[in-house]
Amino acid sequence: MKLIGISGTNVGDSATTLLLNFVKKEFSNLAEIEIIDIRQLPLFNESIEIGEGRLVQDISQKITEADGVIISTSEHNRSIPSALNSFIEWMSFKEHPFNNKPVMIIGTSIRIQGSSSAQLHLRQILDSPGVDAWVLSGNEFLLGSSGSAFDEQNNLKDASTIKFLRSCFKNFLHFIQAAKFLNASEEVHFEPGEYQVSAIGHNGKLPMTITVSKKRIEKIEIDTKNETEGIADTVFQRIPEQIVSGQTLNIDVISGASVTSHGVIDGVAEAIDLAGGDSAVLKRRPKPQNIVEQESLELATDVVVVGGGGAGLSAAACALKAKRQVIVVEKFPAVGGNTIRTGGPMNAADPDWQGTFAALPGEKATLEEVLSQDEDKIDEEYKNDFKKLKKQIENYLQSGNNKLFDSILWHRIQTYLGGKRTDLNGNEIHGQYELVKILTNKALESVKWLEDIGVEFDPNEVSMPVGAKWRRGHKPLKSQGYAYISALENFINNQGGKILTDTPVQELLIEDGTIKGVVGHNFEGRQVIIHAKSVVLASGGFGANTKMIQKYNTYWTKIDDGIATSNSPAIMGDGIKLGESVDAALVGMGFTQMMPVSDPVTGELFTGLQVPPANYVIVNKEGKRFVDEYESRDVLTQAAIDNGSLFYLIADDKIKETAYNTNQQKIDEQVAAGTLYRADSLTELAQQIGIEPDVFVDTIDKYNSYVDAGYDPEFGKEVFDLKVQVAPFYATPRKPAMHHTMGGLKIDKNAHVLNKNGVIIDNLYAAGEVAGGIHAGNRLGGNSLTDIFTFGRIAGTMAANNINDK
Amino acid sequence: MINLIGIVGTGAVESTNRKLLQYMKERFSVQATIEICELTDFPFFNKPVSKTAPETINRISEKIIAANGVVISTPEYDHTIPAALASLLEWFAYTTQPLKDKPIMITGASYGTLGTSRAQSHLRQILNAPELSGLLMPGREYLLGGSLQAFNDKGELMNSAKKEELDKYFEDFVRFVVKNQ
Repeated sequence: MKLIGISGTNVGDSATTLLLNFVKKEFSNLAEIEIIDIRQLPLFNESIEIGEGRLVQDISQKITEADGVIISTSEHNRSIPSALNSFIEWMSFKEHPFNNKPVMIIGTSIRIQGSSSAQLHLRQILDSPGVDAWVLSGNEFLLGSSGSAFDEQNNLKDASTIKFLRSCFKNFLHFIQAAKFLNASEEVHFEPGEYQVSAIGHNGKLPMTITVSKKRIEKIEIDTKNETEGIADTVFQRIPEQIVSGQTLNIDVISGASVTSHGVIDGVAEAIDLAGGDSAVLKRRPKPQNIVEQESLELATDVVVVGGGGAGLSAAACALKAKRQVIVVEKFPAVGGNTIRTGGPMNAADPDWQGTFAALPGEKATLEEVLSQDEDKIDEEYKNDFKKLKKQIENYLQSGNNKLFDSILWHRIQTYLGGKRTDLNGNEIHGQYELVKILTNKALESVKWLEDIGVEFDPNEVSMPVGAKWRRGHKPLKSQGYAYISALENFINNQGGKILTDTPVQELLIEDGTIKGVVGHNFEGRQVIIHAKSVVLASGGFGANTKMIQKYNTYWTKIDDGIATSNSPAIMGDGIKLGESVDAALVGMGFTQMMPVSDPVTGELFTGLQVPPANYVIVNKEGKRFVDEYESRDVLTQAAIDNGSLFYLIADDKIKETAYNTNQQKIDEQVAAGTLYRADSLTELAQQIGIEPDVFVDTIDKYNSYVDAGYDPEFGKEVFDLKVQVAPFYATPRKPAMHHTMGGLKIDKNAHVLNKNGVIIDNLYAAGEVAGGIHAGNRLGGNSLTDIFTFGRIAGTMAANNINDK
Repeated sequence: MINLIGIVGTGAVESTNRKLLQYMKERFSVQATIEICELTDFPFFNKPVSKTAPETINRISEKIIAANGVVISTPEYDHTIPAALASLLEWFAYTTQPLKDKPIMITGASYGTLGTSRAQSHLRQILNAPELSGLLMPGREYLLGGSLQAFNDKGELMNSAKKEELDKYFEDFVRFVVKNQ
């Protein structure tokens, strides 16, 4: 913890300074306090460009870097000393280091009031716009009769005073922690486009057009015909330049043209807010660097990987293993992408290992179904494998083996059958054979490879992720998504790979018609040009880009504008667009996968009351059931969409006990937050969620009678457990959320990106969700990790070999 | 005819508070003489142990003591008065104390709409401190917002309501000064 101490007095050896020195000494075990002498600054005057400008900046810098500031003030004439006043004026004129900075006020006076009036003034001053400090409230430390308060060693004499000071100081440290939390998350996202605003100029309105891309202000155009020429011209040129180069609204106004300067800055701020950004965040950003420092950063490497998720990092690791130089560029501040969000294990057939686990009831029946399946319905390229699989299954069933069965072929056929779908236009899609073959052949190799890198898997559990259809999941021992990412990141750093975060790639670098790297920019807005011999696109799908999903969708009858997503907000289809810029072919773009039972706002799966389908009742906004609660994800999703997307899971006090995701405290919090509804009667619950009570009560009565009868004449639900009858009753709002996009860039088995004529695009590779063709219409749970680590490795290896070829 | 000292509450080169005082000086030249003083003439208060005032402070103090009253026009910086004005008042409080029982009129001009309301309220509290003991008229304040656009080329206030308000305030102040001689 680093703090800055300021003694607000015009004299050196006052009690005010003694108090600050005492705080520094007494609490040195809690925080490091550096005391700044403000008397080195001259009396503030806005019109004088002082030689001390550097000094102002240096002090400002120290405050900016500190965790907090303690100001000790004397009282002069019921207010703060002019020295302190002047200091704050310097710190709120061109520099604004107190912005969102935690500040603690203490003070002394010779008489008994202990600077009470000065402290109140100081609070108001620190609260003013331009200062914008965060002042610790309460904890008023007023040291009166300061002449007799200190002993000869300059320590405070009174033990209870020290005790109180300590408690104030500890509260301040706590306040600093809270402030850190508030200061986090300073990213901005814009809805790209051109925004028209009219700022206030000196002579009236200034029409302005501001162009923004997703994360940047790209262009500021000002219609200046109404403004007088002269100094304002500098404003119209320099201020937009600084805003764009620095991506900040923390811009010095031009002396002598402050109104026009503010007009331009405020106009851009308005446009930012219109574009869905937050201008306050941009105002808090540092000032633009000197233009000289804004020149492009040029780097050269063998392989550049776009995207720092599981696919990108494994591609980078493989290229490093092949002794190539590698740079990974990630647009977010940290690597991980969607991979870090995964909770599921990774599929790989490993019959020797799986054969150590007992088979479960029902698994045999599933295998028997395969034997009875009509071979004519299997697509030609898979027929041979299907026949061989049947043989394997026959042998297994005949052997009387009671252990878990699996084989590469079984994984392959399940991936194929699971992905076979027909869209609304009648177009059929299934996984491309050569890609599915590689995926299933190399899945186990990918698990072993990850073990080499440092991922530890749990040997004692073979799991079946949601939607996986078979138990072949390898589950990391450590927290799942993070286990993969941390191991890969460590490996890359140790092997000399470079990871540039906060660096979105905007375009491919093309020289003489060939891809030679990528162009992006970093968090300072500085252009970054990376020259590379191979480019691997591993930037994920487009699950967080609703517009793009709507554009391509051919599978769902409707995609809501407000659809939530389980994806990282980074997953915007960037790599697919990069591929399209070089004429790459796309495949299966209309097919996306949704999680039907998700939080309507956040897309999260584990909020509300999640109970087994045997217990929950699903009702729509009319209060009626509309689907068998046991249906598959696809059917549930489409049924929900047909019923206006939003639906409710109804439970009662007994059903609540079967919830696997929550506890009483969480339930109470969610009820208080309005994200979960609770009522003592069904009628009241219906009223809370805006459903006609009679309809709702009727629905529940009918459902309860089906449970009694063990038969559901409406939707054919087959497994029942609890009725809905014991108050209080609960309703959890749910909505399908976007989960995975199956479509993407068309690749071959070596992860080369193909163009629309099926020809390899030189130097370009793709892996992971950015590529399409594998999962086709529906991805098996647990197969995405298999995909990214298998094709990520292939892309990295091939990108490295690409250099050998030349 | 009364004699007043006008204090521009900032050292800035461009100041609408200076403009306001200059306007008042012209406008009320029949009722009063106003001598305008600049803060740039005074050093930064440093609380000398000797408690003696610098020469410039002595000089303005003598003028104030000889005058019938004082007009202070203050800007607002960070919700309070400028440090330069605070520094002058610290000199007064610490050394010569010329404002004791001296009638004081407070005005203020700001670019924004509030017209220095918070600075004026601080200034009242400050002038009320025992070492300053200025004599302030209760209930009178003059807040000139939008001051950049308030004056015409000749330095005259353009808004007639604001003009009348100032006339009225000044009339009251003259009466207040006379009463307190």
